[in-house]
Amino acid sequence: MKKMEVLINTGTTAKQVFHEKNGSTLKNDYRQVAAVVYMDPRDMEKLSIKPGDSVDVKTKWGHVTLYAKKSHDAPHEKMIFIPRGPWSNVVVSPETYCCSVPTYKGILGKISKSDKDVLLVKELINVNYNKYNNSNSESANDKPVYIKMR
Amino acid sequence: MEYILKRGIVFDPANNIDGEEKDILIKDNKIVEEVSNNAKEIDISGKLVMPGGVDLHSHIAGPKLATGRLYRPEDIRKGIKKASFGGVDGFEAGFSVPTCPATGYRYTRMGYTTVTEAAVPPLEAKDTHEQIKSIPNLDVPTLTLFGNNWFMLKFVKENNSQDLMLFISKWLKLTKGYGIKIVNPCGSEAWGWGKNVKDLDEPEPHWGVTGREVIRELTKVNEKLGLPHSVHVHTNDLGHPGNYETTLETFDCVKDIKKNKNVSRDQILHCTHIQFHAYKGTTWRDVSSGASELIDYINSHNHMTCDIGQLTFDETTTMTADGPMEYDLFKLTGLKWSNKDIEVETSSGLIPSIYSNKSPVSTLQWAVGLEFLLGVNDPWKIVLTTDSPNAAPFIRYPKIISWIMSNEKINDMLDNEVHSWATRRTSIAAYDKEYSWNEIATITRASPAKILGLNDRGHLGVGAKADVSVYDIDVNDFDPTSLQNSSVIEKKLLNTLYTIKDGEILVKEGNIVQLVDSNHIWCNVKGLEEREEDLINRIKPEFNKYYTINYENYGVCNHFIKPDTRIDVEYGD
Amino acid sequence: MTMLEYDEEVNNCVCFCCGNNCDDITYLLKDKQIVGIRNACRLGASKVVCHPDQRLLNPMIRNEEGILEETTWDEALDKVAMLLSESIRPLLYGWSESSIESIKKGIKVSQLTGAVMDNSSTIYHGTTIQAFQNVGHPVTTYGEVKNRADVIIYVGTNPMSDHPRHLSKFTAFPKGFFRQGGRKDRQVITWDPKFTNTAKISDDWIQFNMNEDYYFFNALRTVLKGQKIDDEVAGVPKDKIMEMVNIMKNAECGVIFLGLGVSQTLSKQRNADILIRLIEDLNSYSKWSMLPMKGSLNVGGFNVALTSETGYPYGVDFARGYPRYMIGETTTIDLLNRREPDVFVSVSDDPVIQFPGYSIKHLVNIPVVQIGTTWGPITELSDVVLPSTNLGIETAGTVYRIDSVPLYMKKVVEEPRNCHSHEWIFIELYKRIQQLKCKGDN
Repeated sequence: MKKMEVLINTGTTAKQVFHEKNGSTLKNDYRQVAAVVYMDPRDMEKLSIKPGDSVDVKTKWGHVTLYAKKSHDAPHEKMIFIPRGPWSNVVVSPETYCCSVPTYKGILGKISKSDKDVLLVKELINVNYNKYNNSNSESANDKPVYIKMR
Repeated sequence: MEYILKRGIVFDPANNIDGEEKDILIKDNKIVEEVSNNAKEIDISGKLVMPGGVDLHSHIAGPKLATGRLYRPEDIRKGIKKASFGGVDGFEAGFSVPTCPATGYRYTRMGYTTVTEAAVPPLEAKDTHEQIKSIPNLDVPTLTLFGNNWFMLKFVKENNSQDLMLFISKWLKLTKGYGIKIVNPCGSEAWGWGKNVKDLDEPEPHWGVTGREVIRELTKVNEKLGLPHSVHVHTNDLGHPGNYETTLETFDCVKDIKKNKNVSRDQILHCTHIQFHAYKGTTWRDVSSGASELIDYINSHNHMTCDIGQLTFDETTTMTADGPMEYDLFKLTGLKWSNKDIEVETSSGLIPSIYSNKSPVSTLQWAVGLEFLLGVNDPWKIVLTTDSPNAAPFIRYPKIISWIMSNEKINDMLDNEVHSWATRRTSIAAYDKEYSWNEIATITRASPAKILGLNDRGHLGVGAKADVSVYDIDVNDFDPTSLQNSSVIEKKLLNTLYTIKDGEILVKEGNIVQLVDSNHIWCNVKGLEEREEDLINRIKPEFNKYYTINYENYGVCNHFIKPDTRIDVEYGD
Repeated sequence: MTMLEYDEEVNNCVCFCCGNNCDDITYLLKDKQIVGIRNACRLGASKVVCHPDQRLLNPMIRNEEGILEETTWDEALDKVAMLLSESIRPLLYGWSESSIESIKKGIKVSQLTGAVMDNSSTIYHGTTIQAFQNVGHPVTTYGEVKNRADVIIYVGTNPMSDHPRHLSKFTAFPKGFFRQGGRKDRQVITWDPKFTNTAKISDDWIQFNMNEDYYFFNALRTVLKGQKIDDEVAGVPKDKIMEMVNIMKNAECGVIFLGLGVSQTLSKQRNADILIRLIEDLNSYSKWSMLPMKGSLNVGGFNVALTSETGYPYGVDFARGYPRYMIGETTTIDLLNRREPDVFVSVSDDPVIQFPGYSIKHLVNIPVVQIGTTWGPITELSDVVLPSTNLGIETAGTVYRIDSVPLYMKKVVEEPRNCHSHEWIFIELYKRIQQLKCKGDN
């Protein structure tokens, strides 16, 4: 698989904030706007990636699968943009260099086409953090799971 | 609750009580003539007793303070003190820009019960009142900034004194303000373009109005409305060599205006932190004191009062609505500069300031302040302030008192501690006045209360608010004029034996024992409500166009001012 | 499209969404429920397009099988009080959708438990605040921009997307007192590595290389001071830099808005440092100010409330009984990266959306409490969940805009039956922790 070295930029986008504010982060709608990577079209061509394809982004800190999207802010070759969210956080750098703010922008990484699925928030959390040994085989991964008061 | 403070030595200049041994009787929140047998007796034999302290010009709450704290963590670290063990007072932090709770604790320990917040931009008045809620134990009147307001400039330009009066009256209600503050009139507005006005008569670039017109028109409005306090003016040209002439002109520019007949104060103009406005010369190289001329004027006129803005040798933070002046200071010192322009209303700025006794300019400023304290004959015309924290934090009041009570102390400082400019460029060495306790009580209690028009305090007469401070000084066995005692005075005045506010004991045996919510004091003019509404209807379109918040969200709602004291002023045409 | 039916209008409401706090929002109510909204942008309308199945409605505690189970407030609050009073390094993080009133109650709880209290400044504009502390703080209010500014620069921020009404309501487009022509009286310039939506509506766009931001800012200042620079700096040609400096010098009144593209890159605080220096220098020629573009509702208000009470703006550690503030030591990400906290309370913000994964991993090892309105990623890592109300819709309170202008938010509708305001929650926690402490002393 062809790989490309890129600088990763993350940041807020209106679409992603919209779902965070109205509390629909577990749902597919949020995945569709936050689990994405905006690429310069020329980079996409070089890697034979089409909009909607899965791509893997890998850094020193982790790797995550995202949907590729064409950037409207091009040209910015060799720079990719991921909206702020649970997906981008897997790959950003926690280094604060003693300045309290971690390094969310300008992280070195590699990008390549992928055949993996893009995970929903719950699945992503189970895979990366696995606090309560929940498995991903359960259905209803976009719905709250809890026990109602008797 | 009833108390008898037994056998203290009382200084109550407003009632001509000058160091008499006297019992003070308190019932509920007032000083009374008689109490029942249930009254609790507190023996303070021989100790120094004064009315609760009144500060008429200090910066304790609001956006300037928020910025000062935010951008000076190094200052916060200077004042760290753990919470007292088992006491009600919590930790303290900050030296020149202390936290809100620390501000309350420190004033309470000094025996102060009323503190005026001297500069409130109306747009951010909510912030000021919100912060006052975090300060315990004080009564806080706030002065609202009007000297560069666009509506004011427009009404002055159009010679529309009616609307100007309605505007002021309404805006005091909206901001829950107590009085009119004017800061560098027209200059702070010019700073919106990076400019300033050099004196009383240079017009503001857009409206073409001058500082003289602003001060005169607002003074007329103040007297027409009969507000308890006069206009409170920070004159043009602060902190520049040669500025004493502008100050003199400012003193003089209102003297023909008639005082409202219903008010109890004597002045129609209060000039604040006069020390910063009293320099001769053309540059900081040839600068000298201009205090003598100003003192002569003050001694021979009765229409004005002033407070000092006395400097001490500390690293402090300057903060003012005089934005251009702060940039000048930045150019001079290069220290970290803060500026914030507030739409339609004013500019403002901050910069740290390091006053050193080795520095010629600091020393000159120090001496100029003392010249006023020692040169003005009538203590009822002046008030002890440091323009806290501009010339010094308020916790330096006791130190300053220790200086002016002892000629020996000042001479010792002139000989051994301070730069020679003090003697070479000012007349400080010529004074030999020493303050008595009665005069100290005047410039820290009686005079500020009278100037503010708060007649229920600053004295201990029957019916007065039961605000009393008792210090651990045996008046009759203590010589405040001796050099050795000056550090004792400072220590004792920093921490009262008792501070009583509204009949509640806040400090007992030197420890804070109670915290109460601070009281927001504001002025409500009655009788103009309908005409004010009409004015609002006329100016609302402009308001909503040029402000970035809606008129409906502009005023300070009652949520922010609990508890409050509303002072009603009846408007009489 | 059918006409929206409503029976009540509530006007002049303050928007809950971002730091712009637009105060001209109208909510349309029918049967005491919000059915419509006027004047708000897409983000401001988001809470109205609600997902009722995702709203937190009852307190929950996670059971032994690892599933959240609804419970009573008493049990949930007692559990949190117990966690906090037994903890030796609790961390209370969030507060961007809390009112000043509730933040003050939170400070009391932090003091009582010796906690660290922090907000999202710690990951967003913390470096800008550090720059204020290093070199100065030349800011302004929005109205000054609207009424006076003729040059407006956006650097590392894209308000057209994140703060949709910012340009149209406050800065570039509206008619101002001295700018009666609105947009055409102003020059809008964007400095950004990307051709953002803001760049697209700007008069000029300067693209500088990612991670070379400091070089670019420094070059501007170097030119302003009359010194020589290379033919190209940070990918920007020399001529372009000279032209830019010329524009800035000749402005009547200019403003720089700086965003996370400045505060979160490798140069951290040094970026804002040099921009502030540039502004200080420019003031010798004309009038210049700056403002950080803060994202959330009350981020700035948190800084004001915390400085009023403790002296420090964020990352305040009460472990020693008095406040300490040491960037890199008492700040959230650094604490999490060192695996220090033993209880984490998330108040309204969602750390799983905000923090780097490496830092989030520590939340797996410690009890986590969520205080919030909706189910989100943090709920999946929380051991106790306390359902709260939406500030400015269900609860009244004070917030501060980006430029520190305070606003009072009204209550528009009743809160869901079993949800409580942050203020109430922290008052209750304080009481319960104090009781536990008294018991412990006896």
